Parts: sequence; C-alpha cells; structure tokens
Amino acid sequence: MADADEDVIRAPGADTSQIDTDLSDETQDFRLLSHLNLYVPPTLTDTTSTSLPKRGEKDFEPNPTEFQADVLSASRQAMHNALAHPRIHNTKNRVIGIYAPDGPIFPDGYVETPKDVGKGVGVAPDCCIYIPSAKGSVFQGIGQADRWNRLWLLPEEALYMIERGSLDIRWPTSMTGTTEEEEGDLSIPMSLQAAYACMLGRAGLTMERYTVYTGLKRLGYSVFRASGWDDSAKPETPTTGDEPDAYTEPRQRGPGLSGILSCIANWMDDPFSTASPAAGPLVGCGIHRSYGDVYRRMSLIPWYDPTLAPQRDPLDTIAPFRVVFHVYKPSTSVKRSALPSPDFRIAVVNTREQTTIPTLPQLSALLQGTPIDPPTGEKMERLMYMRLRHGYRNVVLAVVDQGVSSFLRIGDAAFGKEKMYDSKNAPRGQKKHGNYKPRKR
Amino acid sequence: MDFQPTLPIPISFISGRYLLFSIDFVTYLRREHNICGVLTGTLPQIPQQNVFLGLPLELMPEEARVLVDKGVACIVDEAKAHQGMQSLLEEDRRKYLRELESQGLHASRIFAERKGQKKAETLKKIAEKKAKGKAQAKPQSEESVNAATATSEPSAANDEPASVVDFFAGDTPTPSTSSKGTSTGTPAAQAFHVTPATSYPPLPDPTTSSELIVFRPDVPSSYPLFAHMHSRGYFLSPGLRFGCQYVAYPGDPLRFHSHFLVVSSEWDQEIDLMDIIIGGRLGTGVKKGFLLGGPRQAKTEDGSEIERTESVRTFSIEWAGM
Repeated sequence: MADADEDVIRAPGADTSQIDTDLSDETQDFRLLSHLNLYVPPTLTDTTSTSLPKRGEKDFEPNPTEFQADVLSASRQAMHNALAHPRIHNTKNRVIGIYAPDGPIFPDGYVETPKDVGKGVGVAPDCCIYIPSAKGSVFQGIGQADRWNRLWLLPEEALYMIERGSLDIRWPTSMTGTTEEEEGDLSIPMSLQAAYACMLGRAGLTMERYTVYTGLKRLGYSVFRASGWDDSAKPETPTTGDEPDAYTEPRQRGPGLSGILSCIANWMDDPFSTASPAAGPLVGCGIHRSYGDVYRRMSLIPWYDPTLAPQRDPLDTIAPFRVVFHVYKPSTSVKRSALPSPDFRIAVVNTREQTTIPTLPQLSALLQGTPIDPPTGEKMERLMYMRLRHGYRNVVLAVVDQGVSSFLRIGDAAFGKEKMYDSKNAPRGQKKHGNYKPRKR
Repeated sequence: MDFQPTLPIPISFISGRYLLFSIDFVTYLRREHNICGVLTGTLPQIPQQNVFLGLPLELMPEEARVLVDKGVACIVDEAKAHQGMQSLLEEDRRKYLRELESQGLHASRIFAERKGQKKAETLKKIAEKKAKGKAQAKPQSEESVNAATATSEPSAANDEPASVVDFFAGDTPTPSTSSKGTSTGTPAAQAFHVTPATSYPPLPDPTTSSELIVFRPDVPSSYPLFAHMHSRGYFLSPGLRFGCQYVAYPGDPLRFHSHFLVVSSEWDQEIDLMDIIIGGRLGTGVKKGFLLGGPRQAKTEDGSEIERTESVRTFSIEWAGM
C-alpha cells in the first residue's frame, strides 16, 4: 500500500482508480509536493525522499509538545507554498483567450451579411471565451472553432484551462477601457477570481457541475455537456401529455394482479377441467420430471422487465435528476463533431438543495432517458452477479457535498430475467435432474 | 512573522457559493480560526490528479456564517465588484500591469537559475561518474573503498531528478536552446506571464465599499451544532462521504485523524432507534465516535443563532460489541 501511495505522488498521471482506498478522501500532507515548488530552493526541500511521510502518519490528538507544533507548521507552510504557486505562462507557449461577456461575437471589422442572420458565429451560444489563433494539443477535445479560425470555449472549459495554468484570459478592451497603444498588447489579464466571478452561474454552470467537470477532467476523462444541461429544456414532442414526473407503470412480465384474478375466474367457470388449479394444486398432479417445469408453473408473481420499459426523451426529466454530462473514458477517442455513445451519463446533485434520494418516478424517468445497455460480453454471460450489477440501463449520480463529490452508479437490474432454475450454475443439491433416477436393480 | 490580514476578510460570494482565492487568507483562517474549507481547484504544478487540489477554497455556508458572526470576514458580491473593471483608472491599470510584469520577471529569473543549478548538478554527476570509472580501473584496494563511499552519495542524489517533476517540461519543447541562455548567466530574455489568483489589486479593497457587502449567509438547521463544535476548537468538514453531516477533527486535518461523525437533530425531533444504531456501528467501524447533538432552544424569530448555539447538547455513541 505504501508503494502505491508513493507511486501516485511520483507519477501524477498514474491511474489512481486502481488503488482501493481513495486518497482524496483525506487531507494529504502537502509536504509531499514541496519538490515541485519553484520558489522553494531545493536545499530546503526534503531531498532524501526515502523518508516521505506515509499515508495515515497522523497523530491522534493535539498535545502541547513543540515537536508536534513544528511538524504542523511545516505541513501548513508546505501547503501554503504549494497553493501560492503562481500560474506562469512561458512566452513561447502562452495561449491567450479573450473574454466575450455577451457571448459569441463577430471579429472586428466584419460586416454581418444577411446570410449570418439567425446563424450567428456558428458556435454554441453559451461560449464566452475565444482564442484568436488556437494551436497546440492542450486544447484537444475542448472548444469549437468558427469560420475565422477562432476557438470558442464554454465557461467550464475556459475556467478549467485558466485554473490549470494553460490559458491566459484577457479582459476585452471594451470592458476595461482602451489604453494608448505604445507597447502593443496592454489588455489586462483576468485573475482566477475574476474568471470565477464571470463564468460561474453563467448559462447553467453551477459550482457543483463545475466541481464534477474538473474532477473528471483532471483524471483524464473527456466530458461534454449533455442535452439535459439546460434545466428548462423540454422535449420537442411532448410524450402523450404526461407530466414529466408522472410515474408510468412499467410493463411487467407475468400475469399481473388482474391476470391472476382473471385466471382464477376462469378456473371458477370451469372447475371440472383437469388443468384447473381450482380443482387441485397449483402445479397439478402427474409425473414431473424436471424442477424447471415445476418452477415455471409456480411463477405467478409478476416482475419488472427493464427491457420492456418505454424509452423516454432524456429531456423528459426534472433537474437535478437529469443527465448533464456525457463522459468518455480516456481510452475512447473522441471527436467533437461526431461524438460516439458516451461511456457514462452523469447527473449532478447538490446535497444542500436535494436532501433526499430520488423518488421512483424521478429515478425511472432518469433511467428511461438513457438507452438500453444490456450486459454483454463473455464475462457477463458467465457471471450472473456481474449481470445483475450491470443492469439494463445505467446512470451515474454525482453527489456534491460542499465541494466534495461522490459518484453513485445506478443500474436497472432485472432479477426476473435470471431464472435460477434454468441457469447452469443453479444450486441443485443432490437431486440432480429431478426426483427421477433410473436405478439398476 | 505570520501574515496578519486587515479584518474583515472578504469572502467571495459567487453564484451562491462562498469562495476564497487568496492563499494568505486561507492560511490565516486555518491557523487562527480553525476553518479549513474544501479545496476545489486544480493545482497548476500537477494538474492531472485529484489527491492534491488548489485554490479556490470552497467554504460551507456554516463556515462563512461563523466568520461573519465573529466579525472576521464579510461576504462580497464578486460579480458586482468586478463591474469595477470598467471604471479602472488609467494610472492603476499601468501600475498593475507593471506589477505583473515584475512578478513574471522574478519567476523567469528563478526558473532560469533553477535550470542552471540542475545542469550544474548533472554535469557534476557525470564528472563523478567518470572519476569513479577511472578509480575502478585502478585495482588498488584503498581507492576502491573510497569509490564505494563516493558512489553512495550520488545514488542518493540520483533519486532526486526522478522525483522532481519538471513542470515546465511541456512548455519548453527545445530545452537545449533555453539552457544555452542560462549557462551564460544572462537572465531569460522574456518575462513569464502570470495569471494572478485574485483581482485585488487592480480593483479597490471591496470591504470598504458598503454596497458590495451582502447579507449574512443562510445556514441549515444544523448550524448551532456546527457553531458549538467549532467554538470548542474542532475543525469541521463536510461529511457526506462518511455518512454524516460533518466530520470533526480535534486539530488541523493535515496532521490529525477525525474523531467524530457529527449529525445534528432538533431537540424534540423523534429519532429512529435504527439511525442511532447505524450511526454507532458506522462510527465504530471507522474508529470514530458517532456524535449526535442539537440545540435545546427552538428557532428564534430574528434568525440569530447565538442563543441556540449556547443551548447545544451533544451525545457520543459508541458501539460496545461484547
């Protein structure tokens, strides 16, 4: 475990998901980072990295020793240094973005032609930062280019890029007033604080959504907005006039309650039929050679089959239980122009606004808005519990509690589809192949 | 020696959340007022991980409220404050740009120095290796002992470059040209560009302008318990992932494990016995106590929580399996 910890620190790009304990669960010691700091001379950092503090090396409670006070203040200083580290842009690789407070705009001097009416710049209207001449691979999977080779960024994309130190955003001169052009570029760089003030709350970008977005981006996932991003978006063709939260009874396999009643009524009508359970036991008399047949006749209780549930429009849901992000694993190659079916669909929930778990109508609307994703593959076919866990539809809930996010996967399992008596691995006990056993005499 | 800010500290209120962008304030609140918050930003040094996070710091409404009630902080409507960018004076703007430029120069100079040092170290190491090779070539026992002691040192130093992640590596595709500049001892030709963390300066101090300062933060009904625990010196963090409302640490979470899973309840509220058992078992399972508490006094009309906080009682439940 200790080795794994250090690997995470030494190789930041390493896949942390393989570690069974989540390091981000706890406050980590920032002294592990001091070797990364530009402003702390290497002689002051602990270069004998053999004595890296291990996870869990914390004290039980404060005591008045000076030793403890020293260690604490060293830890705090390290944290201070790590967080005080500036976002620096090398002149060669600096990428400058310009803030467009009113959304996508035409370049200076461009005269709008009648062709442009209703079409605009040709990028998503929520974009608010553009990069005049985009180059470099940092911006792969981010942004949308327009006809003038400008790259437009959505608020969360721009905020993430400025936060990780990859983008230098400038205030537009229209907002800060113009300066005499003596040194050319005198636009004012936007601070991180200003970027948050301008981007958060813009076009549906809440702090919770942003926290989830960056958390996934930092781990290498590709994240895109889903159609449910806009809380007020409604499906284009309203489905049968149902309220979005109306619970449509899913279709069930098996006779159902009314089915059972009508069966019983039939039996009453014809009590002398030999097949009628009214005249005898449910399974009936006769020779039964297999448990399978017996169980099949006993399966009176209806069960829910997710494959028969109606497909709903993903917009036919109510926030926060609607999909706002489509997420792709780092291994999936993603092109914005032709997005494949996402690996994960994520709904973001804020614990301070939604304090209860979703109701069944909310949950089924959420699930029915996702396409059927049955358990397939060799492993799934072999392992029943994997099939049950995978389910036939799935969605991920990202629950954010004041900046701390937890991810829950909800799968629509079909227990009724797993017939224990049919399965090869079904427990059979000693009585193989039913009661009947040919015996040699 | 420690940084002492002028009070009150401005807490940025952006889109309904309470955020801090200045590292000095973050350190100060942690040191003097036991307020940790949650770091939510990306660290520019190592952006592709979630273990170490950076600014901004998100504060719970409870934390913001405690600070406001103590007079340590005030809430600033940041969107409004940033409209001040339009009325920035020409003079201030120039001053600010000059300041940023000097910061950038400083950074680039340090960077160049560090690069030079690293190069010198590497050269030294190569020289040592060569010397070692020569020493080994001579089959004299004394010298081989010397060589052995000498090799133990470089091996320690060897570890270092591996652990030092050069975060400029991606930024300098042609390291040969840039190191050429540093080896001659001249400062780097161009200053780096710096993205500042906060907007003050160039904007004027927001705490002096009364129209920017907004209301007292709204808090959930668990606030009295939060304030009570906080006043007893506990550090509190959001606790959902531990199955509670707050996790209480006896000291700075940097150095101490948490002791309690805190759940608040109203005085006359009926509590399901199951919840107590679940909490008790959960807490004991992770070596923490399950702490249940709440104010005896009902909510007052003026919304002041001071009396309620004084009437808080707490109970700790431990699963005493025999």
